[in-house]
Amino acid sequence: MALHADIIAQLEQAVPGRVYVGEAIKADYAHDEMPIYGEAMPDAVVEVTNTQETAAVCKICYDNDLPIIPRGAGTGLCSGCVAFGGGVIVDTTKMNQILGYDLENFTVRVQSGVLLNDLANDCMEKGVMYPPDPGEKFATVGGNVSTNAGGMRAVKYGTTRDYVKAMTVVLPNGEIVRFGAEASKTSSGYSLMHLMIGSEGTLGIITELSLKVIPQPKQNVSLLGLFPDLNSAISCVPQVKMAGLDPQALEFMPRGNVEMIHEFLGKTVYPYKADGEEVEAYLLSTFDCQKEEELDEIMEKAAETFLENGALDVIVYDTPDAIRNAWMVRSSTLEAILAKYEQSDECDVVVPIPQIPEFINYVTGLEDEVGLAVLASGHAGDGNCHVNVCAHLDLPQEEFVQRAQRFMDLAYDKAAELGGMVSGEHGIGSAKLSYLEKSMGQVTMDLMRGVKRAFDPKGLLNPGKVCGK
Amino acid sequence: MNIFVCVKQVPDDYVEVHLNPTTGTPDVEGIDQVNNAFDTYAVEMAVRAVEAHGGSVTVAAIGPEKCQNGLKNLIAVGANKAVLLSDPALLDLDEAATASALASLIAKCEADQGESFDLIFCGKESTDEISAQVGAMLSETLKAPFVSSVVEVEPVEGGVKAKQETESGYAVYEMALPAVLTVAKPAYDPRYPTIKSKMAARKATIPMLTAADAGAVKQDNRVTCLGYSEPAKRQAGVRIQEKEAADAVAKAVAMMAEAKAI
Repeated sequence: MALHADIIAQLEQAVPGRVYVGEAIKADYAHDEMPIYGEAMPDAVVEVTNTQETAAVCKICYDNDLPIIPRGAGTGLCSGCVAFGGGVIVDTTKMNQILGYDLENFTVRVQSGVLLNDLANDCMEKGVMYPPDPGEKFATVGGNVSTNAGGMRAVKYGTTRDYVKAMTVVLPNGEIVRFGAEASKTSSGYSLMHLMIGSEGTLGIITELSLKVIPQPKQNVSLLGLFPDLNSAISCVPQVKMAGLDPQALEFMPRGNVEMIHEFLGKTVYPYKADGEEVEAYLLSTFDCQKEEELDEIMEKAAETFLENGALDVIVYDTPDAIRNAWMVRSSTLEAILAKYEQSDECDVVVPIPQIPEFINYVTGLEDEVGLAVLASGHAGDGNCHVNVCAHLDLPQEEFVQRAQRFMDLAYDKAAELGGMVSGEHGIGSAKLSYLEKSMGQVTMDLMRGVKRAFDPKGLLNPGKVCGK
Repeated sequence: MNIFVCVKQVPDDYVEVHLNPTTGTPDVEGIDQVNNAFDTYAVEMAVRAVEAHGGSVTVAAIGPEKCQNGLKNLIAVGANKAVLLSDPALLDLDEAATASALASLIAKCEADQGESFDLIFCGKESTDEISAQVGAMLSETLKAPFVSSVVEVEPVEGGVKAKQETESGYAVYEMALPAVLTVAKPAYDPRYPTIKSKMAARKATIPMLTAADAGAVKQDNRVTCLGYSEPAKRQAGVRIQEKEAADAVAKAVAMMAEAKAI
């Protein structure tokens, strides 16, 4: 559906020079990073730079019954920002100013289009840390809040939700509201701010955020436990916590993944053998603290815990370069998969920690049954498993989608059986909606839809996502 | 085979360094000091040689007391001994003065252990100043054969064979010992310490020698740095946005032709 010239003129008046229609819309706007879930071009794209422009655009769309699709950097993995029903994409990436710090109150104020990477670096220069650390560093912070992104450090510091103090939101009808406060605590009615977090742009468009920061830890060390099998690697996780250790991050990787990543990186970072024995699973951890003496003690205690729980050996990464190299392996997982396989689909279920081995063994055991390569790794410290099913181009796309669908049905059923949830951090978008519905049940889904109607009676904001029909 | 490896501590080269507007010198305050990457390649090459053919690896640095930590990190990855030449008189040395001080330190270590080093390794250059001169000057001072940018070394009858990386490929040299080699990036990466080797290295004592202990007489610098300037900022690129690959290539070729690049 082409937009009426009159509406384009109104949009152009609201955001002069930043309205794109027809051929001027770049092809990337048709999808996020998982085009496998479908592509669709919007009728228009507008680049907003502040709350007022966002409000003006929403009001125009609302008054003209046009779908509004908020979009950050487009790095999502569940089609959360794709305009399947057409409409106007509100691109927030030009709304990217860091507005200021209140270091006495450990708060940074940002526009929602700031990239995570830019915020992390800026915080570091100020001597503070913004703890959430999702793998995709070039996502917008607004996108992170909209999906409640987690990341590697969630095991110690929690997810994005734990760092949002307040936000400015534009409702679908163009009204501007402020949720939350920069105060430390609140018991002041329903937390609409927390409803916004993880709502994937279905309730309102976040334009500004007040985020919590913490003093930058001065010391850190990464340890890599080398294990003979995945079970012993995972069974070590509760012991690490029982020992009073508080890892910043705790990631598991089966050997097959590591071999593939080494091949992608063109170098071998993790050893394959320890004391003559084959390493089959890796547990990568980072510990941080303020004092060097404290770090020595943590390092010794953690390594001892690994060794007592079946590790063949423990490798120490304690220089900046070594830590970067150790984590580069983990962070390159998705890139390595996409470099090796032309077709891929992913789920990021979260299961109780002790159930990780059963879940991983189950899904990797499905390779032959579904006829796809299965690669699994994830956050051992919080049970969030990232599982990719992959194939080369010799498998027709239609067939790949069918097989992936079959795999996902089995994987989500297994996760539910083990007490898990559909998504740990990627969100639902439109791609995982049916699994959410199955997992949550009718009553919960109806409650969600009721909330959606309260914010968006016309159902115009990011339709068909999370709980949309 | 006894190998002596010269190591320099440099600011972490992952961090972008700018000039301090007041002093006009590189502002490295707050940046972690790490072992120069090429020196870590040299240590790995030395450790591999010793593991294969026997002998020992001694690592050495000139610098303040805190350099001990960097040396301990190298003991954790296979170096057998370490020594630090630490003296306020030996600050801000130019390349020739550094080579002279290192030569004295080598002589002192040889006298103490009662045997000579067969090979002296340096990284091919440091990642901070990148002058790539200390190794060559050290060989001149020691009157020893010298090969730069070595990526492989192995013992042969009467000496060693070293494979040098050149701009067009490789050159292979044989030489008598002792010899000085500077090391480029070999085909492998330096190993990381295990918890056992790390904890053992933390307990190691690193002897700290003054200039007088090492018999080093500070040479006057012959090179004076007159000032620093930052590299010119890169101009913004041009984004080619043609939808079809063939159109994009045609446009790129046309732009290069217009710029007389092809």
